[in-house]
Amino acid sequence: MAYVAARGGEAAIQAAEALALRHLAEVSADQIAWVEAHLSLLVDRVMGEASLYAPRLAALALVQSGGELEGAVLLLRAYRSTQPRIQAAQPVTDASMTSLRRVSAAFKDIPGGQHLGATLDYSHRMLRLDLLDQGRSALPAVSVAQTPAPAHAESVSLWLRREGLLPQLPDLAGEVVFDVTREPLTFPAPRAARLQSLARAETGGVLALGYANMVGYSGVHPTVGEVRLAQAEVTLRHPVSGELFSAGRVRVSRGEIVAPTPEGASASGGAQGSLSLGCCAALGWNETKLIAGGVLDLAMDQPQAHPALQEEFVLNHTESVEASGFCLHFKLPHYVTFASELDRVRAERTRNAQPDIAAFEPPEVSV
Amino acid sequence: MSTLADLAAPRADYTFAFLDEHAKREVRRSLLKAVCIPGYQVPYASREVPMARGWGTGGLQVTLSVIGERDTLKVTDQGADDSVNAVNIRRFVARMTGVVTTTDTLEATLIQSRHRIPEERLREGQILILQVPLPDPFSYLEPSRSKARELHADSDYALLWLRLYEDLTRRGEVMTGADHPVSVHGHYVMAPSPIPRFDVPKLHQAPHLTLLSAGREKKLYAVPPYTDVQPLAFTDVPFQIERQEGWVCAQSGVSGGFMTELPLPGGGARYVLSDTGLLDKLVRARRGEAVTVGETYTELGPEASP
Repeated sequence: MAYVAARGGEAAIQAAEALALRHLAEVSADQIAWVEAHLSLLVDRVMGEASLYAPRLAALALVQSGGELEGAVLLLRAYRSTQPRIQAAQPVTDASMTSLRRVSAAFKDIPGGQHLGATLDYSHRMLRLDLLDQGRSALPAVSVAQTPAPAHAESVSLWLRREGLLPQLPDLAGEVVFDVTREPLTFPAPRAARLQSLARAETGGVLALGYANMVGYSGVHPTVGEVRLAQAEVTLRHPVSGELFSAGRVRVSRGEIVAPTPEGASASGGAQGSLSLGCCAALGWNETKLIAGGVLDLAMDQPQAHPALQEEFVLNHTESVEASGFCLHFKLPHYVTFASELDRVRAERTRNAQPDIAAFEPPEVSV
Repeated sequence: MSTLADLAAPRADYTFAFLDEHAKREVRRSLLKAVCIPGYQVPYASREVPMARGWGTGGLQVTLSVIGERDTLKVTDQGADDSVNAVNIRRFVARMTGVVTTTDTLEATLIQSRHRIPEERLREGQILILQVPLPDPFSYLEPSRSKARELHADSDYALLWLRLYEDLTRRGEVMTGADHPVSVHGHYVMAPSPIPRFDVPKLHQAPHLTLLSAGREKKLYAVPPYTDVQPLAFTDVPFQIERQEGWVCAQSGVSGGFMTELPLPGGGARYVLSDTGLLDKLVRARRGEAVTVGETYTELGPEASP
């Protein structure tokens, strides 16, 4: 095996890592399974931002990073880099996902019905201090509905399209989908690249920029056409027989935001006198992401979008792994580059302290 | 009859040099393009690697994509082989490839570096891989990457010249620190990664290949061997390197290499060579050990007693 050039730095980083990883000594596989089962929304967020649906690995990443979210996302994305892409799955459609929660703010009732599903939206946000004493919560009884909610439902946007309020969707059958994990993102970004970038963007960043828009910067007044949490079938084509088969189910969520089309808007919108649709979908369930991301999708198409709400700005700066990594890299030694800066500052100081050094005279320019 | 298990290779959690082969091939294709268009920033997908963005992931992807089993790897950060992040990158590449590592510039076939070019002359066949945080010389002047791309396409470098000119007229000095823009073979202007101005002349007509890669920004570019690299400068205001006259290395006693300034308690400073691979050899030579010190880019001043 390799001869490794080792000096002080190596012993130091190994000792520091050992100190930080002491918590792992007590972690069992069962506890990682517990994280997967009980912190499922956190696991969802890691999977969504990592673009890799692997609940057990996401739980492991969370445990391994001590719960540091960007760290867990990076662990999972780095693991993803070791895996080849075999093929693109069949598109997930309304008919191929089992809807478990679906609400619309745009209409009192919608075709297929409003279904709250499982939500803490209307719970009182009070700490359940009794859990600290009892250690186990008494589960409230859940009763089965007389008529089950329909497993599949058409999206509200489809109804709006039929009414002529939203433009018809282009036919994308047979198109190769752009993949932001395999191709560099350039601007203006293809539609697929924008939606994928939003899907894996850092939720806090999407929220911050989306919120800025909601309160007035290049303001879009959003209405939630639909928020849907679902289980989607991942359908692949067998590489040899060509048969379609299900590789399993994944939790997905999708938000549709509608707003009147502003004057001069493009991309997602239709003509004047119609609505525009902002869309955001994610692997895993993450409602904040859906709404803020859907609003940003609309905001990015505003003709006079605020600089912080333009596509390049939004997509480049909500990238969790890139933003957090670059932020933290300033901890690394920079003494060589700082020496260069210091050299310039000292040169400037010397010049200022000696007024008899002739100031630079701009040369005469002849045209 | 043979079973599937007999035919399959033994299970391995990770492949040679970590990245899947498609990813490596994509990087190599982009590198070929970069070599063909010196100084041009080639976009590439840039996979996540087990290291935070901004910590050398661009350089690391290039290293992982070009490294072979018989390479000898050197990794430095600020010139130091034992700097924590350099150690970490070297440890990772060695773990994923099993290659031999070294601190000696002369022994290395691949050198991944952050912010420095070694003091000993690189030769034909060696590859220098520089980690780049901000690949675009327009970074602080035109933050939109799309607009900057258009400026490069038009060879419109007026903003960069204007910046130098404004520094001169307003402050009396060109204030570019460690990322002085350079013109590559008379066309593209590139950010040299950042390296101190002291290192910039080392790129001009160099016999080695320099690959520069920014993982976060997903761009890589190259300076092929024997390529003109000229710092942007006005004809009547010559390009200046850092002023380190009289700075003598406290450990080796030499002057003339790029020095690191170490503040002393109570004021004042002492200096040591930033290139620790060279420093190590000079110190060992003083002790009478047989070491081979290569020819250096700049003449190392007469030894004074440290």
